Order: sequence, then C-alpha cells, then structure tokens
Amino acid sequence: MRGTRPYVTGAIALAAAAVIFVMPFVFVALQAVKSKSEASRLDFELPEQWLFWDNLVAVFKARDYQLALAYFNSTLITVISVTILILLSAMVGYVMQRRKTAWNKVAFIALFMGLMMPPAVVPTIGLLQEIGLFKTMTGMILIQVAYNLSFSILLYRSFISTIPRDLDEAALIDGAKPRQIFFRVVLPLLKPVTVTNIVVQSIAIFNDFTNPLYYLPGKENVTVQLTLYNFQSMYSSQYNLLFMNILLVTIPPLIVFIFFNRQIVAGMTAGGVKG
Amino acid sequence: MTETRPRSRKSPYPLWFFIPAAVIYGVLFLFPTVSSLWYSLTRWDLSTAEFIGLENFQQFFSEPFLVKGLVNTLIYAVTTSGLKTVCGLLLAVLLTSNIFARGFLRTLVFFPVLVSTIGIGITFTVMMHPTKGIINVTLETLGIPGPGWLTNPALALFSVALVDVWKGVGLATLIFIAGLAAISPDYYEAARIDGATRLQQFFRITLPLVRPATVIVVTLSLIGGLRSFDLIWAMTRGGPGFSSDVIASVIYKQYQAGFYGLSTAGNVILFALIAVIILPFTLWFNRRGVEE
Amino acid sequence: MAELTLKQVRKSFGALEVIKGVDLEVASGEFVGFVGPSGCGKSTLLRIIAGLEETTSGTLTIGGKDVTYAEPSGRGIAMVFQSYALYPHMTVAENIGFGLSLAGRPKAEIAAKVAATAETLQLTHLLQRKPKALSGGQRQRVAIGRAIIRNPKVFLFDEPLSNLDASLRAQMRLEIADLHARLKSTMIYVTHDQVEAMTMADKIVVLNGGAVEQIGSPMELYRNPATPFVAGFIGSPKMNLYGGEIARRLNCTTYGIRPEHIRLSEGAGKWQGKIRHVERLGADAILYLDVPELGEMVVRADGETPFASGMTVWANPVEGAEHRF
Repeated sequence: MRGTRPYVTGAIALAAAAVIFVMPFVFVALQAVKSKSEASRLDFELPEQWLFWDNLVAVFKARDYQLALAYFNSTLITVISVTILILLSAMVGYVMQRRKTAWNKVAFIALFMGLMMPPAVVPTIGLLQEIGLFKTMTGMILIQVAYNLSFSILLYRSFISTIPRDLDEAALIDGAKPRQIFFRVVLPLLKPVTVTNIVVQSIAIFNDFTNPLYYLPGKENVTVQLTLYNFQSMYSSQYNLLFMNILLVTIPPLIVFIFFNRQIVAGMTAGGVKG
Repeated sequence: MTETRPRSRKSPYPLWFFIPAAVIYGVLFLFPTVSSLWYSLTRWDLSTAEFIGLENFQQFFSEPFLVKGLVNTLIYAVTTSGLKTVCGLLLAVLLTSNIFARGFLRTLVFFPVLVSTIGIGITFTVMMHPTKGIINVTLETLGIPGPGWLTNPALALFSVALVDVWKGVGLATLIFIAGLAAISPDYYEAARIDGATRLQQFFRITLPLVRPATVIVVTLSLIGGLRSFDLIWAMTRGGPGFSSDVIASVIYKQYQAGFYGLSTAGNVILFALIAVIILPFTLWFNRRGVEE
Repeated sequence: MAELTLKQVRKSFGALEVIKGVDLEVASGEFVGFVGPSGCGKSTLLRIIAGLEETTSGTLTIGGKDVTYAEPSGRGIAMVFQSYALYPHMTVAENIGFGLSLAGRPKAEIAAKVAATAETLQLTHLLQRKPKALSGGQRQRVAIGRAIIRNPKVFLFDEPLSNLDASLRAQMRLEIADLHARLKSTMIYVTHDQVEAMTMADKIVVLNGGAVEQIGSPMELYRNPATPFVAGFIGSPKMNLYGGEIARRLNCTTYGIRPEHIRLSEGAGKWQGKIRHVERLGADAILYLDVPELGEMVVRADGETPFASGMTVWANPVEGAEHRF
C-alpha cells in the first residue's frame, strides 16, 4: 500500500493539474485551428477541418501585416534592451560587490526603490517628449533597460559574491587592467546567471503590455501585446483568429522556457532566495 | 631614490562602471519619480502646470469612483497575495513530496507565469462569458447556475483576482520549493521519532523554517497586486462601470482624459501605499527570525 | 633574480595597526620563510610586497628599484595563492599564458613559452584540461607554472600547501625546494607550519602581532631564540617555558629548556617529577611529567625508554642547553 501512494497521489495531482493548468491552453489551441463558425461555439469539440495554416496566415495578414511588424518591433526591443541590460547590470553588480564605497549604500536604496515603486508614468512621458524619445523605439528600449536594472543588478551582485577575489588578484598580478579583469576573468564566469537573466528578462520584456501602452502608442511602432489587445475588438466575432493570435503571442516565451528550463531554476535559487 | 606618494592607488574596481546605468536609471526612473511629487500638486497639461495644492489628493479621497479604485487595490492585493501564498506553499509541499511525474508537474504549474498576461486575460474573459463561456456551460450541466463572473459588479474584481492567482501561483510555488529544499530533513526525522503527525510536522517545522521564502512570496505578490494593471485592463477595463478599477487603471484613465495632475497624484498615492504596507511588513517579518 | 628590502613598513586598517614597522633585507636567490601564528600579519606583509595592499608608511625596493607605489604587475613579482586562484573557465595552457595574452604577445610566442614552462613542470599532457579536472598537486603546479612564465625577480608563496593532505604536502615541499635549487630565484614563503619553514628556508622571519620577533637561519632560531615567543614557536614538541616565580628563582624572566635537552634518570637529578603520560611514537617517546616546583614538563626520550606512566623520575637539563630570557 505504501508503495502505490506516490502513484495514486501523483495521478490525482496530475489530473487536477491537467484540468486547472493545461485546460486553458488546450482551449486556446483548439479554437485557434477551427473555422469561424465552429470557434464561435467556444466548446471543446474537435474541429472538423484543421485550419491551422489558414488561420495563421489570416492573422498575420490582418491590417497590413500588423502582427508581422509587431513581432519585428517586439523582438528588436527585447534583444537590444536585454543586451544593454546584461552589460550594464553586470558592470554595476561587479563593482558594487567588490568595492567598498559609500556609493554602495546609495545604490542599494535606489535599486530597492526600483524593485518596489511603480514608475511615475506621466512625468516620464513629459520627459521623453522633451528629449524627443516619446513614441520611439529608442525611448522604449531605454525605458525597458531603466525599469529592469534593479532586478538585474541585484541578481548579479548576489551571484558575484560566489566568485573568489583571488582571481581578481591573480589577474592583477598577471598584468590585467581593471577593464580586462572584468571582461576576461569575471564576466565569463557569470555565464549561468547571465543565461537565467537573459531568459527572465526576455520573457518579461516580450510580454510587457503596460509600458508600450504608455510610451509607444501608435501604429508604426506597435508591439505584440498591444496588437493582441487591439485585435480583441477587431475579432469580436472571429474567435478562431483571436485565439490564433493568442497562440502566436504566447508561443515564443514557452519555447524559450522549455529550452532553458533547468538554467532558470538553478539560477534563481543560487544566491537568490537566501539573499 | 624615494618617490613622492602619488594620489592614492586606483582600485581595480573602477567607479565609472556605475555611470552608464546610473544615467539611464537616474534620468528615466528616479528623476520622474521625484518630479511626480511636485506634479501631483498641480493641474497639468504637459506644457503648463498650475499649482493647486492637495486638491488632487482630496479628489482621490472624495470622488466615489476614485475611492473605489483605492479600496479595490487593497482588496485585490491582499486577496491575490494571500491566495498565492497559501496555494503556492501547498503546491510546493505537494511537488516536493515523492509523487509520480513531479518534475513534469512543476513545469506545468510554472507555464502560466511565462505567457502573455493579455493573452490570459482574453482567454479567461471568453471562458468566463456568462452564457457561452465554457466555465458556466460546464456548471450548467452540473446543475449549478453560473454567476456573471465579469458582468456582475460585485464579482468582477474577484474573478480577475482568481485569474491573477492562476497565472502567478507558479512563481510562488517555485520560490517555496527552493525554500523547502533548504530545510534539513533531519528536523523531520527528529520529529517523526518524537511522534509528530504529518500535520504537526507541517505546522511546527515546515511553516516556521520556510519563513524566508514566505517573506519573499508575500512581499513580491503584495507589490505586484498593488501595481496590477494588465490583467484587469484586458478583462474588464475597470468595469462594469468602475467596480473593478484599481489605482493603476485609474492612473491610465485619468491620463487618457487629460487630467495629468490627477493621474500623477494617483501614482504618488500608489508609492505611499506600497511604502506604508511593505516597509513595516518586512521589518516585522524579519524581526521574528527563527534561530536555526 | 633580485634582492628585496623592506624599510620600516607599517600597515594600518583604519585605527588598527597590523604591521608595526618591519625591516627586512633579502639577498638575491634567498629562500625566506615568513612564519607566525594566525593573525600575525605574515600574509598581509606578503600582499604588501605583492602590491595587493598599500603600505601606510615605509618603503619597499626590489632589485634596487623603489616599488612602494608600483602596480603589482610592474614589480617583477609572481605569486602562488593559497587557493591557487586558477581561472576556472580557462584551460591549463590559457591559465599559464594569460599574462602574456594580456600583454598582447603574438600567439606563437605565447604557445612556445607555455610549452616550455609546462615541460619543466611535467604538465604538457594536461595543457588542454580545465582546472576542475586536475588533482590538488597538479593544480599547484599550474599555479607555479603561471608564476614561472613571468620570469619574476621574486616568487611569493602564500601558504600554498595548506590545502593539501599530509602525504602530498611532503612531496610538494620537495618539489618546491627542487624548484628553488633549479631556478635559484628569490622566494618568499608564508606558512603557519614551522616544519615547512624549517625545512625549506635559508632564512626565517618570525612574526608576532605585526612585528618581527627574530630573523635568522633555521638553526640559529633553534639554538638561539631571541624571545620566549620564538623559543616556543620553533621546535616540536614545544620548548618548556616557565615564567613568574619559577623564572625569578632561576634568575631570569622566562626560563626555557627543550624537551629533547632533558635527560631522565632513576637516581638523582635537578628536578623530581611523576610521569603522567607517555606517548610512544616509535623512534621517539614523549613523556609528560608533573614537576612540583615547575609545573608540567615535556621530555623527549628515545623510543625504547624504560620509563612509563606513574613512575617517579629525576630530570636533568643538558649542559648549555638552558635558555634564560
């Protein structure tokens, strides 16, 4: 009896998890491949025709290929902001952890504010307008960097404490300049946490709705989440296309996650939970 | 023979590494945050700002729809945080015990955390449709009348909160799993020898020792709940009426209407809320540490 | 190879002075050991020589050049760390060649020099491995290789053997001694283990609380310790030291006599005592005596000694081996 308990509980858990956590995804996937009339029934019946490609193309074509443009914009924003973020936050986390300076306390408090406090949107819009970056991709990228720096820096700072200082000193003796110590000795050793950071930040920035809503309105610079939101009103009767859109928007992060699954969990817990 | 002492030898950790990040962060985050304190005291249209003292704040605490937003924010935050913490811990306990397909289940539970909030919002809005939605249709077949999840003003906020918990519990579970893993099995073995039941073990050992993780989960979910916007906007846009408005949606609505000063005042109130709730909370929690 | 001089070197961390005015002359090619208990400042002093810590005052010259304020890489030193500090993400070859790579030397030159260095340390077959795939002894050789390739004027060793187990330690001691004989370079070696210092050094600097207690060759320190501290530090088992009343009766502040300089007899002698415990080590035996007028006394005798626990014996100091401080 003891031996089967894990299996019985496991089976029940699996069934419950399937219903609660998987069902909505299955629902989305199902409606996404149905025809317009079938989808409007919003049930779990299997489709008579498998209209995956037709629906996909239809969604992409809508409003002059707006989704394609949105994909391009979102990807561009994500890739560039994450790159800048990684570089800048590793640099700061490194000096914060290694060097005893009064600036550390100041930085710490400033970063904590960034983790907790919501950004002041309207003043930021005003500011962006003054520098001429409102409604621009550059502005959006810089915003994403600014808003995600706190988490990123604290993550690096925590992890860098596991890299022994001896290595810095050995490099110093070998003749490394400060820049070289960072780029050739420390940064390569930060790979695990960098991977985690890239995954977490990419998913967060790709899925971000609020910030593009405020700072990047307008058709030319539309992002994926915004497009999805707008399609809601457009496809009020075409549920199949709406759900295909949802599917297309939710797939990339899932792919990224499945690919890097182990790294995320390891990276978040190493030096994360216990500070 | 002897050199005069040069200015103090440079540290191998250059301070200029701070500069690029400091500039971006300072200009695009810190500065607007500080200036919002000023702007919240004005009637503002982005080109001119007229000082009006605390009028914006007075409005927030007197106009019914604004007050509702405030109250809703607190309800939403506490509800989602509480549910995420409790369910997260229970799930974590389940997923660290010896059950079949444990790793697979963990991944499954975490999926919703990764997907687009808007996507989730739209999906559940459709599923929660009062007559055609799959949830109510299923309830009908079981003989239970399905409520108007998002159409009933009294329920709308809670419905969104439930979806929020569905989406976010995976992260809480992940954090709790890490926290549980840090508890040495020795404690449980000693307790078993002392004759403690599973339930007693949970309350006397697990709960106290998982405190660090609990603090993190509660803090993160409270802050997230107070700031929540995406899901509410996608599902109800603060409706029906303004029964599910929260501060974040109020901020946006006032911005859209051109009341920039009022909108910014909402921001300041949100800061204050977070500071007032989180700071004492973390202090309280950290003081009641558990000696290992 | 070069000589090294420290003049009145002081180091304070805030209000705490950890190095209190050290003067030291090291001749070219000498092997100098820095010994002392934990916290005596020996590692700090080494790091000051390396340039990893700044002096608060005082000067340091290497090869006649004042390097008090020079960068570590500009002093002509190389250091082997206690943890070896090998770059985990680089291969052995890259580790050894890192300094040259930083200086922008051409790849062919680096490869040649690395190969030559690896050859002398029998590391050639390990060149493509990463540090985590090496044993403790191999890692140490890589650390040494990284130091050698710099052709330093002075080699610095910071407790390099403390991470190794006992048998490996003895072997590595020999290898380092061999290295010194081969390269004939100036070496400064920090250790808390006086056996290492005694067996490897030409000259030992005994440090205590940031100040130099004595500098001398191993045998000098053994035969003529300048202070009770040095007397008690050098030599194993420790010298018997007696202060207070006992010392005054013997006309000094502290009276010392080494366990190996005491002869036991059944008949008569200077002090009478009861044997509390005997440790038989094979070649030697260590006897712990309770002597009423002195207290506890440790005596080293031949392994076959007939004296056993519980017996009462007479103890006699060897002529000329008594120390009065």
